[in-house]
Amino acid sequence: MMLLNYSQPLELTKLIKWFDNLLRASLPEFWTLLIEFVVVALALLAVYVVVALLLIYAERKITAFFQARIGPNRAGKWGLLQSPADMIKILLKEIIKISRSDRFLFFAAPFFMIVASFATFAAIPFGQSLHAIDFNIGVLYVIAISSLGIIGVFLAGWSSNNKYSMIGAMRSGAQFVSYELSAGFALMTIVVLSGTMQFSEMIEGQRYCWNIFNGHISSLIAFVIYLISGHAETNRGPFDLPEAESELTAGYHTEYSGIMFGYYYLAEYLNMFVIASIATTVFLGGYLPFEIQGWDGFNQIMNYIPSYVWFFGKTFVLIFLSLWVRWSFPRLRIDQLLNLEWKYLLPINLLNIVLMVLLVLTGLTLKDLFGIL
Amino acid sequence: MEDIKKLIINTVEDAVIEEKQKLTVTVDWKKLPLLAKTLRNNKDLPFDFLVNLIGVDRGEELGVNYLICSSKDLSKEIALKTSATNRENPLLYTVTDIYESAHYSEREVYALLGIRFINNPDMRKFFLNSDWKGFPLRKDYDANPDINPVSIESKEIQDIAPRIMETEEGQLLEETVKVFEDDDYVINIGPQHPSTHGVMHFRVSLDGENIKKIDVHSGYIHRGIEKLSESLTYPQILHFTDRLDYLSANMNRHALCMCIEQAAEIEVPLRAQYIRTIMDELNRIDSHCLAWATHTNDLGATTAFIYGMREREVILQIFEKTCGGRLIINQNVVGGVMFDIYKDFQKDVKAFIPYMREKLAEYDRFFSHNVIALGRMVNIGHLSKENAIAYGVTGPAGRASGWSCDIRKHIPYALYDQVNFKEVIRTEGDSYARYLNRLDEIEQSLCIIEQLIDNIPEGEICAKTKPIIRLPEGEYHARVEAARGEFGVFIESRGDKFPYRLKFRSPSMQLVSAMPLICKGEKIADFIGIGGSMDYVIPDIDR
Amino acid sequence: MNSLSKYFLGIYTGVKSLLVGMSVTWKELWTKKVTQQYPENRKTLVVSDRFRCELTMPHDENNEHACTACGICQMNCPNGTIDVQSKMIETEDGKKKKILDVYTWDQGMCTFCNLCVITCPSSAIKFENNFENAVFNRRKLIHRLNNEGSKLREKKKEVKPAESKAE
Repeated sequence: MMLLNYSQPLELTKLIKWFDNLLRASLPEFWTLLIEFVVVALALLAVYVVVALLLIYAERKITAFFQARIGPNRAGKWGLLQSPADMIKILLKEIIKISRSDRFLFFAAPFFMIVASFATFAAIPFGQSLHAIDFNIGVLYVIAISSLGIIGVFLAGWSSNNKYSMIGAMRSGAQFVSYELSAGFALMTIVVLSGTMQFSEMIEGQRYCWNIFNGHISSLIAFVIYLISGHAETNRGPFDLPEAESELTAGYHTEYSGIMFGYYYLAEYLNMFVIASIATTVFLGGYLPFEIQGWDGFNQIMNYIPSYVWFFGKTFVLIFLSLWVRWSFPRLRIDQLLNLEWKYLLPINLLNIVLMVLLVLTGLTLKDLFGIL
Repeated sequence: MEDIKKLIINTVEDAVIEEKQKLTVTVDWKKLPLLAKTLRNNKDLPFDFLVNLIGVDRGEELGVNYLICSSKDLSKEIALKTSATNRENPLLYTVTDIYESAHYSEREVYALLGIRFINNPDMRKFFLNSDWKGFPLRKDYDANPDINPVSIESKEIQDIAPRIMETEEGQLLEETVKVFEDDDYVINIGPQHPSTHGVMHFRVSLDGENIKKIDVHSGYIHRGIEKLSESLTYPQILHFTDRLDYLSANMNRHALCMCIEQAAEIEVPLRAQYIRTIMDELNRIDSHCLAWATHTNDLGATTAFIYGMREREVILQIFEKTCGGRLIINQNVVGGVMFDIYKDFQKDVKAFIPYMREKLAEYDRFFSHNVIALGRMVNIGHLSKENAIAYGVTGPAGRASGWSCDIRKHIPYALYDQVNFKEVIRTEGDSYARYLNRLDEIEQSLCIIEQLIDNIPEGEICAKTKPIIRLPEGEYHARVEAARGEFGVFIESRGDKFPYRLKFRSPSMQLVSAMPLICKGEKIADFIGIGGSMDYVIPDIDR
Repeated sequence: MNSLSKYFLGIYTGVKSLLVGMSVTWKELWTKKVTQQYPENRKTLVVSDRFRCELTMPHDENNEHACTACGICQMNCPNGTIDVQSKMIETEDGKKKKILDVYTWDQGMCTFCNLCVITCPSSAIKFENNFENAVFNRRKLIHRLNNEGSKLREKKKEVKPAESKAE
C-alpha cells in the first residue's frame, strides 16, 4: 500500500474510489455492480476507438517522415482531424453486398476479429487501478483469446468467393498458427521469471527492477522474440504478406467495404497496440515508473508522473519501433516466414526457456544478485 | 564477311546478295529456314541473335525482313528478306525453332499483316482481338471504324491456339491446341494491377503457390504508332518515340534521329553530339533510379520507392530547365537538338554527380545487403546466357546473364567511342545480379557524364536541313542502347516524304517473352519480384 | 560444428544488415522535407521558362501580332490541333492580301511537340509556362490565339538618326 502514501494528485485512484463509494451508498449491490460494469465497458470502448484513431494518425505522420514526405497536414492543424474524418467516411460508405458469397459467414467474419481484439484489450493494465480484468491466469487468458481472431480471417477469405482472398487467408492462417507458438513461449519465459501469471502481481514484482533487466540475457532474447512473433501474428511489418498490396491487392479483406472493412482496419491497429502493451506490461514494468531502490528523491520525482503516462509512453516507444521496422524492410515470402519461425525462432525459444530456468534456479537473476526487493 | 557471303551462296544458290546499308540477302521463302539455321550454326561467327523481325507489305506481295547479328560481335549484321507468294493466304516458315525471340514477333506479324507461319506452335493474334476484321498494316486496309466497333460487352478470352504444322510428307495441317489444361487454377494478374509496370495481362496457372505456366495477353495500350507514321512526315514522327518507352525517351528519339540522319547523310554538329550524349546518360540514370524504386516497391519496401523518386526529381528539374519536358523530353530533332543548354546546366549537373554517388552508397547500405532482400532476390528467376541470347534479352538483364551486349561498346554512336566506361557484366543471371547491374550502370553513367560535362565545344546545335526531308530509297536500320536493352528503328523509304514502313524494335517485348521461361516453378510472390527485376515498360511492347 | 557456426553467423550477418538499414531510415526521419505546399506557394513558385503549357501569340502594346497566316504551323502539326482561318482583304494599293482571321489552338489534343513554334518563319507563336489550365468543360480548351481587332505588325522601315533628332 505504498502506492497511496505517495499521494500523486494526477492519479485516478481517488476518483474511482469516490464513484464506487457513491454508488454503494445509494444502491443495492446488484445495481452497483451492474452500473459499474456498463460504465467500464463504455469507457473501454471509448478508449479503444480513441486509441485506434490516434494510432492511425501517428502511423501516417511517422511513416511520412521516414519517407521524405510530410503526411496529412490539410485537415485541421497538423492534420489532426484527418483520422476522425476518415472514421466518418468509413461509417458512411456503402456496404457492397456480393451476390455469390456465403452471406452469413461474410457478415459474421469481422465480428470475430473485433471481439477477440477487444477482449484482449480489456485485460491490459493501463494505469494504477485502471485494470479492468485481472484474472489469476492473465497471460494464458490473453494468449487464448487473441487466437480467436484467426477465425475472422479464415471466414473472410473463404466467404468472399475470390481466388485472391482465399490465397491471402490461407497464408495468414499458416502464419498466425506458427507465430502464436513463439509468442506463447516467450511469455512463458517471463512467467518462469516472475513466478505468476497474473498481470497485477507481475507488475508489482517489477517495482524496482523491470523484467527485462532482471533476467538480463534470457529476457532480452525473449523480448526480441516476442516482438517479432507479435508482429507476425498481427500481419504487421515485414510479415504483411496476407495483405501484400503490391501483389494481391488487399488479401483476405479485398471484398469488404464500409464499416466491415473498418473493423479489419481498426482491429489491425489495435492488435499492434495490444502486442506492444503486453510487451510493456510483461517486460518493461507496465505502468510503474523507473525507480531505483534507495534513491528516494529520484523515486519521488519519477512517481510524480502519473502511471498512465508511463504506460502509454512505454507503449508508444514500442509502437514507434514497430513502425520503424515496418518501413525499412521488404516483405518476407511465405516460405521464408515459416522458415524463420520453425528453424530459427522456435529452437532459440526452447533453449531460452531452459536458460531462464537455470538462471532462476541458480539465483543469477539481477534481483537475486543485487538483493533488490 | 566474305566467308559469310560464300557460305550463303553455298547454302542457297539463288540468294540475291546486295551491299546496302547492311548486307542484305533475299531468298525464296522455302529456303529461308535452312539459310537461317546454317548462319546460326556457323562455327567461327554464329549469327545467333535475331534483332528484329519486320513484316512489310511490299506492294504486290507480303514479306518479312529479318535482321540477325552475331552475339559475340554485334556489329556483324545480316539482313534477310523473303516474301510470301500468295497475297490471299500468305504463308511463311517459322524461325521460332531457330530463334526463340521470334515467337511474339511472328504473332504480331500475323495480327497486323495476315502472314501465317508454318510450324509456329501458337498462332494467336498478338495485339488485336481474335475477331478483328482486316489487317491494319496492309496498304489496302479499310480503316472505317464501323467495321471494327468498340465492343461494349466483355468478351471471353479463348485459350485456344490455332496453328499450322507441317507433317513429314510435306502436308500442311491446320489444328488447334489448348493453352491451359482443363483443371488448371488460372488467375489473372493485370491488366489493372499495382505492380505490372503498365497494362499487361498475365494469365498464370498455379499449383499451390508455384507457377506452372504463364500466358501473356498483350495489346491493351496498342495505339498503332507504326501505321500512323506511314502518313506523317519525319519530323512529325519524332514525338511518338517519347511515348513508347517513356523512361528512355531521349534515347529512343536519338535512335530515330540517327536513322534518319544516316539515311539522308546529314552530319550532326559536335556540340549537339555532346548534348545528346549527356542527356542520354542522365536519362539512363533516371530510368535506372525508377527501375530500382519500383523493384523494391514490388518486394515490399515502399520507403525505397520514395527515395528513388527523390533522386529522380533532381534530374527531371534539369530536363525541365533544358527542354521544357520532364518525362516527355522533346530534345532531339533531325540534325541536332532543339534547345541549347541553359546557363547553369554544367553547374547543376556537376552538383548532381556527387549527390547521386552519396545516394548510391545509401541505397547500398539500405537495401542491397538486407538479409530479407537477399532472400527475395538471390537465385530467383535464373536466366542462362544461352537463353538470354536465344530470347534476345539485352540491356542490364542480358548483361546479368554474362552476355556482353552493350551497343555503346560494340557499335559506338554519338560520343561513346571517346569516353572510358566499363560494361557491367555479371554471370549469375538471377534477380540479384540484374538488380546490382542497374546500380552499377548508374555509376558508369556518372563517369561518362563527368568526362563530357566540362568539354562541351561551342558551335551550332542543329544542322541545317531541308524543310521537307525526303530519304533516298532503301532500307535503313539504327540501333541504340536504351535503358532496358537494345532499341532499334527500321525505316523503309520509297523516296517519299513519308516512310513506307517504320518499325521500332522494342527491348521490353523480349524481356516479357523470357518471363514464361524464368518464372516456371517459382512462387507467385516471386513472379512480381522477377517482373520488377526484368523491368519492362508496357507501352514499349504494345507500341 | 561447421553448420552450427554457419547458422549463428547467418543470424549475426542478417541482424546486422537489418540494423544498418534501420539506421538509414532513422537518418531520413530527421532530415528537412522538401515538399512544397501548393497552392500557398504560388508567389514564390519557380517554373522553368522553357516549360510548355499554353500556346500564345504575343501581342505588343498596339495590339499587333506577327502572324502572316502562312499555315506552316498547321501543316507541321502531327495532330491537326491548329486551325488557321484566313481571309482576303484589299489593301490601299488595291492589291489582294491574305491576312489572319481566326487562329484556333486545341489544348486538349496538343502533344506539345513544339514543331509549330520552331517552324514558324515569323516567330509569331510561343509557349508560355503558366500551368494552371484546368477547365470543367472540354470546349473551353479550344483557344483563340489572336485578339479581337488585332492586326499584323508591319515591318518597320529603317529610321535614319538625323530624322529622329529632328522630331
